[in-house]
Amino acid sequence: MDYFEPKTVSEALSLLDQHGDQAEVIAGGTDVMVDIKYSDEPGCLVNIKRIPDLNAIRESNGGVHIGPLATIHELEESDLVRERLPLLWQAAHQFASLQIRNTATIGGNICRASPSGETLAPLLVLEAQAEVTFSDGARTEPFGAFFQGPGQTSLGSRGLLTGISVPFPAAGSHAVYLKHAVRGPMDIAMVGVAVMATANGDKTALDDVRIGLGAVAPTPVRAPKTEALVSGKALDAALVKEAGASAASESSPITDQRSSGEYRGWIVDALTRRGLEQCWQALTGKEVA
Amino acid sequence: MGLEIKLTVNGNTHTAELEPSTALVDFLRDTLGYKGVKLCCNTGECGACTIIMDGKPVNSCVVLGADAAGADLVTVEGIADGDELHPVQQAFIDTGAVQCGYCTPGFIVSLKALLDRTKSPTAEDVEEAISGNICRCTGYTKIFDAVDLAAKRMS
Amino acid sequence: MAKAEYTVLGTDMPRKGGVERVVGKGVYGIDLNLPDALSGGVLRSEHAHAKIVNIDTSEAKAIPGVRAVVTAADAPDVRYGRSYIDRYILAKDKVRYMGDPVAAVAADSQALVKEALGKIKVTYEPLPVVVDPEETMKESAPTIHEDMPLPKNLPEGVQVKNVCGYAAVNIGDAEAAMAEADVVVDEVYETKMIHPQYLEPRIAAARPEEDGRITVWANAQAPFPVRTEVASLTGLPLNSVRVISTGIGGGFGGKGSGVTSSAGLEPICALLALTAKQPVMIVMDKAEETISTTIRSGCKIWIKTGAKKDGTLVARQGKVVYDAGGYSGFGNQAGGRCTQMVGGWYRLPNIHMDGFTVYTNKQVCGPVRGPGGPQATFAMESHMDSLAAELGMDPIEFRLKNVPEKGDGIVGVPKLRDSSLAETLNTAKEKIGWGKVKLGKNQGIGFATGAWIEGAGPGGGAVVKMNEDGSATVHIGKVDYGTAAPFGIPMIVAEVLGISTDDVTVLNVDTDASPWDAGTVGSRSMLVSGNAVKLAAEDARDQILRMAAGQLEASPEDLEIVDRQIQVKGAPSRSVSLASVCNAGHNEIGDVIGRGYFDSKASQADERERGSSQPFTTHAALVEVDADTGNVKILKYVAVHDVGFVVHPKAVEGQIEGAAAMSLGQALCEQVVHDSDGRTLNPTFVDYLMPTINMLPRIEAVTVSGYPGAGPYGTKGAGEIGSVPPMACIANAIYNATGVRVRRLPLSPENVLRALREAGK
Repeated sequence: MDYFEPKTVSEALSLLDQHGDQAEVIAGGTDVMVDIKYSDEPGCLVNIKRIPDLNAIRESNGGVHIGPLATIHELEESDLVRERLPLLWQAAHQFASLQIRNTATIGGNICRASPSGETLAPLLVLEAQAEVTFSDGARTEPFGAFFQGPGQTSLGSRGLLTGISVPFPAAGSHAVYLKHAVRGPMDIAMVGVAVMATANGDKTALDDVRIGLGAVAPTPVRAPKTEALVSGKALDAALVKEAGASAASESSPITDQRSSGEYRGWIVDALTRRGLEQCWQALTGKEVA
Repeated sequence: MGLEIKLTVNGNTHTAELEPSTALVDFLRDTLGYKGVKLCCNTGECGACTIIMDGKPVNSCVVLGADAAGADLVTVEGIADGDELHPVQQAFIDTGAVQCGYCTPGFIVSLKALLDRTKSPTAEDVEEAISGNICRCTGYTKIFDAVDLAAKRMS
Repeated sequence: MAKAEYTVLGTDMPRKGGVERVVGKGVYGIDLNLPDALSGGVLRSEHAHAKIVNIDTSEAKAIPGVRAVVTAADAPDVRYGRSYIDRYILAKDKVRYMGDPVAAVAADSQALVKEALGKIKVTYEPLPVVVDPEETMKESAPTIHEDMPLPKNLPEGVQVKNVCGYAAVNIGDAEAAMAEADVVVDEVYETKMIHPQYLEPRIAAARPEEDGRITVWANAQAPFPVRTEVASLTGLPLNSVRVISTGIGGGFGGKGSGVTSSAGLEPICALLALTAKQPVMIVMDKAEETISTTIRSGCKIWIKTGAKKDGTLVARQGKVVYDAGGYSGFGNQAGGRCTQMVGGWYRLPNIHMDGFTVYTNKQVCGPVRGPGGPQATFAMESHMDSLAAELGMDPIEFRLKNVPEKGDGIVGVPKLRDSSLAETLNTAKEKIGWGKVKLGKNQGIGFATGAWIEGAGPGGGAVVKMNEDGSATVHIGKVDYGTAAPFGIPMIVAEVLGISTDDVTVLNVDTDASPWDAGTVGSRSMLVSGNAVKLAAEDARDQILRMAAGQLEASPEDLEIVDRQIQVKGAPSRSVSLASVCNAGHNEIGDVIGRGYFDSKASQADERERGSSQPFTTHAALVEVDADTGNVKILKYVAVHDVGFVVHPKAVEGQIEGAAAMSLGQALCEQVVHDSDGRTLNPTFVDYLMPTINMLPRIEAVTVSGYPGAGPYGTKGAGEIGSVPPMACIANAIYNATGVRVRRLPLSPENVLRALREAGK
């Protein structure tokens, strides 16, 4: 196996150009090390961990710029993330054990593109942008376009995720990330639901409701019909119930060793309801009647 | 292709070669002889191989050995002060938290890292610090007892 | 039981070997450093059921640095097994589960081993696969072992196949009595396979010696059965095989059943070493273990019980189908025990049970922590709650109405010396706050009782060898994996000899030197080695006192040893040091060597005469069910046990808490998941979910005074019984919280929510 430790992004990109499908990029290593152990070794390993300044977390252009090498625990420890991106902070806080959070990077979680990746549904809801770099140039794109299937991203085998731009959510918004798993943070989520909303001026209705679903489709997805169903409306029990069912119908979960597709649908329903109720209560000070 | 790296383990400087795909746990155990780092799940799920890397607890089974170049590591072998056990080590013995003992090094390293961060950890702090460490013998009650005892003795 | 007047017993002395373990010394099998050892590895079947048409090892053998490649053809034509001798060292002609060992390699490095294993070409002819234990009994199922007969004791007219064990319980006339019952409840329960998942991987190392012998290092719970099986499977005479037990990182019975439990690892390693004429060490990977080493079987249980209106039990009928896997393993024993335990431990005059242990194309059954008991109890004690509900009775009152008393028989025990079941029930009720604690929405309390039958089984010896400084070196046949060997055993020696536990060294097992033992299994360490070591220490003490008697001009009976001094009772100033007597002993008898043994036959005769002393338990749980997701949170858990006299309180509590936690894992989330091809879908810890500290409450272990057991000073086994009640306990708490009975494990969020929805909740 060939091994490289590029010191710059362009060096890394030229290695990817050179080795193509044979190359595997490694950052924190929490997924790649398992692959090396249990699958065949890649032809070549490109360790980007030592590229400087790719782990910065800083305010930038009305949002937060996150370097892909920032570890999950660095996100948790960042006041900027905690205060301005609480949805992402909640996802980071429920992301595996402390040992893993100290090692795993947000870029790795994103590029792995596992539908259950903990930070993915929150990034969709936050309408974050991926900064995608190839040897012939860089572009930004929304994560909705970035995620193309399980393990598939727009990076292909030659691109590198070089940054994540997360706009600040609207002032006064509230967001919750709900993860369903038997052992809480320790498990891969059976379902993850991110809900974010704001209230209208007199706090009688929700505005700009965004719902992201993890582990229930080939990629993390938004639930646009459900978002439209509840946006601009006052939440009552009937609407919450309808929204839960609607979100479930917008998911397309599979059955695997963790749970059945049918059960995942029930949980999407339950967590969407719960997320909406929590947002409603936080934004209006009232329980859903 | 052998890769030569230099690192510090428990204050000792080592320079050694490793294959680039080697996991840090295997490098520490097989090349450097730190057998206290326990090999178990190879997937970052059980915490038996926990070490402190540049001040932070990590699972050495999912860390690339090469990433330890230039790093400062602490393993369970580096926690006692000579013959004087760290309070967490002594508390594990005193509370009966060591049954088979195979998970013990990982717990001790995780808890040392915790007690380095805070002298009076809350229940949530403890839970966060060792939820990534599996013990199959004790059912955890005696481990909770050990943490309480160690924190009490250290405060 | 209360601590009596002892110096050492009843205290919490530090675990022997504790310091080594907390500072990370390499005491375990996996830490073994065998100079010049080759790496070894095993090729495992990728089919759950297939004929082996051909194995071509030529390419693998041609790789430079590969020193041995072996298949069944390289070993004697000998099989192993317990009740059914049905398994070769490496699969021959057929594979019977995905993970069945087919070939093995020894090479200069692990990378070469991996490469060589990939180069072995096995031609399979796939056969139909059966993974369901009920399906396998049907005529239409594929035959898993063509040359294995049905059990001889199978009742006439029973049409089954793939059955490798049958057990029955026949007490009274269950059918007639059932007709007289006022209330009858008839239910079906199902449990799934779990893996013991001790954290230290299995290892084996073997070194051919100059004198033609072979030394095998194993982290096995049963070194002597490993010796027997290694000798038999490699064709070496027994006395040419030496097995040395390493420190062991957990076992829970998973490392307990001779070479069966390791899927033949030790003899395979020995065969590689003999072939390569070099030492070989194999370290299994945990994912490899999940698919290949022995497990706690899943089973299906039919249980029907009749009671009178006042709650008196009158009859029980039932059936157990117990999944042994691809080979019989420990299936017959565990399935038989399961069948007995579904019969229960209450007063029940009429019982009929049929128990079938069956082959399927899955991993093999081992004696995992209370073999058969947790599964049986999930059904039996859930069922008792269903009966209580049907009768409109309080579940505690209903059980108390039927507890056995002194002199009663229960299934498998003709006569009880006494009974402490009621005491554990009442204590559990009190500790959990039944009827007192105010339950919130979707909160509930559940109880389940348990028993574990002890007694019959092999004997075992102990040797206590005195050193000239008054210290003692102890040989027993039980290994150190954190149970009695490093706790209770040295305490007994210290107590008898008037020395400190610091003066006692308990050696790990070396089959060349240690007394024979069947294995560190069955909650028997204290019963067997505890009794033996007590007698051995007493024998040593008597020899010492006889020698001291002359010096002190007193008769031996008037002497005692206190704090390393031999003194005249009542006149402590007339004394001589223990060390000086042991030292002087060199000139008289050489060494003081005390010998003792546990006489199983005598113990059984005593049980027949006076009744047998069994441990009993009741567990209680307070849970909260999330009715939206099915998630169950345990808020409080109490495990009340009568384990007889407690030698080391923390060690006993630790056994109970750990056993309970293991079964709470099975209750809530643990299972090995298979697809219909027999493939394990969750081999790694990523998806094999064991309890982590954030999902369990602090389990509260409580020991009641109970009554003395057959162990030394009245101890009873404590290692397994704690794993018996938890699954039923949680199921009953869920029922109490929601009114819904979940009859299939695990009580995972999905299974609970499904049951809630089916019940319209």
